[in-house]
Amino acid sequence: MTRDFQSESSTPTASATTSQPQLPHSRTREPEPLPVTTSALRREPFWRSPILWFRTLTIERRILAGFGLVFVGILIISTVSYRNTSIVVANSKLDTRSHELVRLLASIDVTMDEAENNHRRYLVTGESLYLDAYWNVVEQKPKFLQYLANLTEGSPEQQQRIDRLEHMIDRQLAAEAGAIDQLVSHGFQAVKQLALEGAAKEELREIHRLIAEMEMSEQQALQRRIMISASTTTRTIILLGTGAVLQLVLLAAVYYLIRHDITERRRVAAELQRRGELLEAANKELESFSYSVSHDLRAPLRHIDGYASLLRKAVTDSLNEKAARYLQTISDSAKQMGQLIDDLLVFSRMGRQEMLRTTVNLDQLVKTVIYDLRLDLQGREISWTIEQLPEVPGDPAMLRQVFMNLIANAVKFTSTRPIAKIEIGIDRRLPREIVLFVRDNGVGFDMQYAGKLFGVFQRLHRADEFEGTGIGLANVRRIVHRHGGRTWAEGEPDKGATFYVALPTRRPRT
Amino acid sequence: MTAIKPILLAEDNPRDAELAMAAMEEQQIADKVVLCHDGAEVLDYLYCRGQFTSRLKGNPAVVFLDLKMPKVNGLEVLRVIKSDATLRPIPVVMLTSSREERDLSESYSLGANAYVVKPVEFHQFVSAVKELGMFWGLINEPPPERPGSGH
Repeated sequence: MTRDFQSESSTPTASATTSQPQLPHSRTREPEPLPVTTSALRREPFWRSPILWFRTLTIERRILAGFGLVFVGILIISTVSYRNTSIVVANSKLDTRSHELVRLLASIDVTMDEAENNHRRYLVTGESLYLDAYWNVVEQKPKFLQYLANLTEGSPEQQQRIDRLEHMIDRQLAAEAGAIDQLVSHGFQAVKQLALEGAAKEELREIHRLIAEMEMSEQQALQRRIMISASTTTRTIILLGTGAVLQLVLLAAVYYLIRHDITERRRVAAELQRRGELLEAANKELESFSYSVSHDLRAPLRHIDGYASLLRKAVTDSLNEKAARYLQTISDSAKQMGQLIDDLLVFSRMGRQEMLRTTVNLDQLVKTVIYDLRLDLQGREISWTIEQLPEVPGDPAMLRQVFMNLIANAVKFTSTRPIAKIEIGIDRRLPREIVLFVRDNGVGFDMQYAGKLFGVFQRLHRADEFEGTGIGLANVRRIVHRHGGRTWAEGEPDKGATFYVALPTRRPRT
Repeated sequence: MTAIKPILLAEDNPRDAELAMAAMEEQQIADKVVLCHDGAEVLDYLYCRGQFTSRLKGNPAVVFLDLKMPKVNGLEVLRVIKSDATLRPIPVVMLTSSREERDLSESYSLGANAYVVKPVEFHQFVSAVKELGMFWGLINEPPPERPGSGH
């Protein structure tokens, strides 16, 4: 801010703008300048860039970024863990199925063996009880084939073997059925050879081989899955472990950031409180100072004026013109100083006084101000142009002071005009503020001095031209600033002046 | 008209007192004015003690009180007067240099009958004092003295 002002006031053409205060948002810009970052990027290794970027962030964004990283980390870990666990769970289901399959194959193996053996016994003895095993296979075959198909679902290799197994079983059963028929129709001699060797010796051997092959394949698959599950579990554990450590580190960093921020905030709050207390003490002192000013400085002034008057009365006969003028000057000076003290006290009070927060009808306010000025308006010809004015939030007494000063000034500085023109209106209406103006066709001023206009005791005219103490516009500025607004003026010598007051349309926060 | 009733003027500053007396003289009521130099003297007068033990009994027509006085200040004197049943009817006019809001509101809430800021300009000061003296000393009808009152 200060640099801005200096650079502006060093250029002669900028004097007009210096009277307008800078808009506050120019101050809130991030202090980190962009060019530094980009030039640093060029020199630094690539991994430095996120760190540099991180440093440009505000504390809130840093914390947010930290939590964001933690969140993303948790998300990744959760996803991967879920996937790994699903694999392990699926594998364990497959394992159960494999065990089941192995058991089933063993039992099929035994059953087929038993069927063939008992069939041979039947052929030898003709005892039909020995055919139970055979009938059992015939009856159970579709069921266990279906079961086998279920257990090998998703494994085409095994299913191919099942097809062949089914085929072989069918062939074994067919051979055995053929032998039974021969026995029934031709007697034992016809099947003697078969009874000795077995009706489906080849088929059974093939069945044994197929089952052994299937078992082997299933055992291999089982082994493979166990290894996969084990490695997946290990990976998951490692992932969870490192993830947890990383999360902890990140959380610790975020905690550190927050803690650092809180400590900083506490420190600032304590500092603010300390300064507030100092300010309050200073304010109290100022108050008692202005109180004694109002009381103690007035008394001697009254005495000066009083005794000068008494003196004039006492020596009235022998008083020559010169001496009378001296006495008059003493009195006038005392009065002037009294006025200065009063104005200064008002100025000081405007700075300290509690502000009333209400809505002020400016239309009404300007009307009463003009009515109150009626004594000054006597014998003057003034053409008034007054726009419809809005309501604004503010302190009625203070805003009244503002318009009283501005309008009284306009009346005062047009006193040399045969017809004074005074215009009061709205310059522009923005969503956040409203800019009002008071324009006159009076003596005006040189824009060169625009910056001085609103200072305490600053006067642009000689005391014998226009009376006044030079406090009025300082009061205007102080009041408008307390309302969160701005003031500035435009003018031209002998052409008139316009005074602007920008007031916020919403209540200021403080 | 109660011509006998005095006007009590409390003023610690001798110059202010002299100027006030000059104004009273112009109004020809100076002989009625009793001048006290601080708040303690005012109370001594009202309670007939100290140097005023042998004064004529009865309340003054009006008390002109300065705010800032040594020993007992104006507001304290005002508080004593307005909390004493016998003294309460006495009209009290604050005559002071202070225009502070705090002083004004405190004076009125304590029961002051008027509050006048001493003008810096002598002519205005004279006319203010003259009018005050005229009004409170001559025009205004003071409260009746109750029998047996006075100390």
